[in-house]
Amino acid sequence: MLAQKPTLAAHESLEIHEAINFKTLCLAKSKLMQGLVFDQELKDLMQKDVRQYMQAIADLQALYGKAEFEAPVPEFRPTPILN
Amino acid sequence: MTIRQEDPVKMDALDPANGLNMPEMADMTFAADFLIRVKEGVRSTAAALTEAASPDVRALLRAQLHQGLALHQELTELMMRKKWFHPYELSEQYQLDRLSADHTVAIAKQKLFPDDTRRQGLFDRTPDEGLEGSRA
Repeated sequence: MLAQKPTLAAHESLEIHEAINFKTLCLAKSKLMQGLVFDQELKDLMQKDVRQYMQAIADLQALYGKAEFEAPVPEFRPTPILN
Repeated sequence: MTIRQEDPVKMDALDPANGLNMPEMADMTFAADFLIRVKEGVRSTAAALTEAASPDVRALLRAQLHQGLALHQELTELMMRKKWFHPYELSEQYQLDRLSADHTVAIAKQKLFPDDTRRQGLFDRTPDEGLEGSRA
């Protein structure tokens, strides 16, 4: 038991997992869409969204580090995907 | 030739007639996608909040929920102002729904992309790729 390190409840960690992935995908899409929209106001709102997502992801990552299954993050993906 | 608003997609994808009003229609689609994502973010954050036990998780999710709600309001107002969204004129919204759906289906029927989109060989690979690609 990791008594010295406060950990999240297991189900909370999975909620954070869902939230972090949802926000990562939304960030990618909002960033991509900014290059496609024509309306300047809509683009500005998407830029605001991008800024907020980057902060939200940083905050969620900090919390995610307290998950019980937290592990050192390698430079490359642990399982290869190249054919 | 005359282009009717209710049937804007004609001939093939390369026909310049398809560019008529394209920016406005594309922006409406992007805004609708944006709205759906913001709504889904608010709902899933609210659901996650009801599963939170730790004070710091609860505090962060609550802050993100409020931020999402504020963004939803801002986007809804923008869409209403631009006439992309008509929550109070349901008949107009109905017409918009039908037209958007038909238009998008017409676009989806066109062949927009080449058959082979693998683009193999266009991107760098690491020199040690032969090592089972474990560094991908």
